[in-house]
Amino acid sequence: MDANYSLMAIEIATALLAIGVLIIGLLVPKEQRYGLGYLVTIGLTGIFFLTFAFYGTNTKLFGGMYIVDDFSIFFKQIFLAAGILVTLAATLYVKKIGANYGEFFVMMVFATLGMMVLSSAGDFITLYLGLETMTITFYILAGFKKGDSKSAEAGVKYLILGAMSSAVLLYGLSLIYGMTGTVIVQDVAALITAGGGMQPALIVGLVFLVAGFGFKISAVPFQMWSPDVYEGAPTPVTAFLAVGSKAAAFAALIRFFLIAFPDYQAEWKVLFAALAALTIIVGNLVAIPQTNIKRMLAYSSIAQAGYIMTGVVAADAAGIKGVAFYLMLYVFATVGAFTVVMNFSSNTGSDEIKDYAGLAQRSPLMAAVLLVCLLSMAGIPPLAGFAGKIFLFSSIVSQGYLWLVIVGLVMSMASVYYYLSVAKVMYMADPTDNTPIVVPVGAKATLLLTMGITVFLGVYPEPLSVLATIASKALFMIN
Amino acid sequence: MLIKYAGVVIIMIWGIVFPAILLGLSKLFHPNNPTPTKLSTYECGLETQGETWVQFKISYFMYALIFVAFDVETIFLYPWAVRFQSLGLFGIVEMFIFMAILIVGFWYAWKEGALEWM
Repeated sequence: MDANYSLMAIEIATALLAIGVLIIGLLVPKEQRYGLGYLVTIGLTGIFFLTFAFYGTNTKLFGGMYIVDDFSIFFKQIFLAAGILVTLAATLYVKKIGANYGEFFVMMVFATLGMMVLSSAGDFITLYLGLETMTITFYILAGFKKGDSKSAEAGVKYLILGAMSSAVLLYGLSLIYGMTGTVIVQDVAALITAGGGMQPALIVGLVFLVAGFGFKISAVPFQMWSPDVYEGAPTPVTAFLAVGSKAAAFAALIRFFLIAFPDYQAEWKVLFAALAALTIIVGNLVAIPQTNIKRMLAYSSIAQAGYIMTGVVAADAAGIKGVAFYLMLYVFATVGAFTVVMNFSSNTGSDEIKDYAGLAQRSPLMAAVLLVCLLSMAGIPPLAGFAGKIFLFSSIVSQGYLWLVIVGLVMSMASVYYYLSVAKVMYMADPTDNTPIVVPVGAKATLLLTMGITVFLGVYPEPLSVLATIASKALFMIN
Repeated sequence: MLIKYAGVVIIMIWGIVFPAILLGLSKLFHPNNPTPTKLSTYECGLETQGETWVQFKISYFMYALIFVAFDVETIFLYPWAVRFQSLGLFGIVEMFIFMAILIVGFWYAWKEGALEWM
C-alpha cells in the first residue's frame, strides 16, 4: 500500500487522457467531435515531454511486479512518438471512414497504455495484462471500417490468430511458473539454478515463449497473419500496429529472456539467430513480387523485425542499444511511409503500386517522404536506417555471428531492389491522372517531421544513440 | 521425479476407460426397440424450422458484453468487501476509481445506444 504512485504518472496520465477524451466525446455532439484527434495528439505530446523527467528513476514497484527504469522509459517514448505521429496524420482519414470518430482516438490511447504496461512489466501477470490491453484494442481497431469486408476480415483474423498466440504464450508462462514457483521475472534465474538447472519442461516453456513473442513481432514462421491484417486494417492502424505492437513485444521479450534466462543464453541464442536469419530472408524475398504497397510494407516490416532480432541475439548492452535505436528510427520511417499510403488511398482510393506512377509530379512532398523512408529502411547512408544497422550488426559480429551479418547485408541489398522499384514508378513513370494530390495539414506535419528526423538521425545519430545506451545499461543495472 | 505425476496419468486413463465400460455394459443389457419419437432430439428444445444459419440481432452481444463488465466488477467487489476494514481509506478511494472507470464505460454504452432495442 505504501508504493509511490507518482512513479506511475506516465501510465496514469495516459489512462486519464483516454477516459477524458471518451467523456468529452460523449458531451460534444457528433458533428463537433473532429477536434478530438488533435486533442489526443496534444495530450500525447505532453506525456512525451513528461517521460523525460523519469530518466534515471530505475526502481521497482509492488515487489518487482512493475519496473520503472530507463529501458522502459525509452520504449514508452517510442510508443508515444508513434502515437503522436499517427494521430496527427489520421484525423482526416478517420473522418472519411465515417465510423465513430472519438472512439478511434480513445482506442489508440488505450493501445498505447497497454504497450507502456508491457514495457514495464516485471512479472508474468502484468506482462499478460499489458499484452491483452494492447492486442484487444488492436482487434477492434483493425476492424474499424464498418461495412468494409477486408477490414472485418483483418479484425477477425487478428482476433483468432492473436488468441491462439496468447494461448501459446500463456502455456509457456505457466510451464515456467510450474517449474520455478515464481511469477517475478527477476527471481526466475536464481530459482532455475536452485532447482537443478534447465529441466526439459523449462526448455519446452522457453520454446513456447519464443513462439508467442514471435507472433507479436511477426517473425517467420509466425508471420502469416501480418500481411492480411496490415492490408485490411485502416492505414493509421496498420502504421501503429507495425510500429507500436512490434516495439512493445520486443521490450517484453528482451526483458524476459535477458533477465530470466541469462545463464541459458546458449539455448535461446541459437533459436533467435535461426529465426532472425529466416525472417530476414523470407521477409525480403516475399516482398519483391508484391503489387499492393501495404502488403509490400508488411513484408518489409517482417524483414525489419529480423534485423532487430539480431540485437537480441547479441544479448548484451551493445545489442540492446542497437534494438532500442533501430526501433525508434523505425517508428519514423514506417509512420512516414504509411502516412503517404494513407493519404494516397484517401485521395485516389487505391493501394496498388502501379497507381503510384508519377507521384513525384502529383505531390512532390509525398514522393520525397516515401523515398526517404523506404531508403532508410533499406539502410542507405546517410539516412537513419544505416546508422541503426551499423549498431545492430556490429554488436553480433564480435560474438561469432558473422554469417548472420552476411545474411543481413545481402538481404539489405535485395531489399533495395523492391524499395527502388517503388521509387522508379513514382519518379520515372508518367502519371495517368495529372490532378495534384492534396495533403491535409496534419498529415503534412507528420510527413515533414518523419522525413526531417530520418535524415537528421542519419547525419547526427549522437543524441538518440546516447539515450539508447542509457536505456540498454539500465536493463542490466536493475537486477 | 516424473513418478510423482503417475497419479495424474492413471486418473486420465481411468477417466477414458470408465465411461467406455459403463456405455458398453448398458449396450449389452438394455432392451432395444427404437421408435421415431424416441429417436427425436428432445433435449435441446424444439426441432428447428428451416435454416439454422440465420443472422440474429447484434443487440444480444451488446447486452452480453455489458453484463460481463458488471459481472467482473462484482467479482472484484467481493474480496474488497471482505478485506474492507484493513484496507482503510486507500481501499475506498481505489474502489471508487475502479467503479468510476466502469461507470464511464457504461455511460458511453448507454449514450451510444447500445441498450436500445432496434
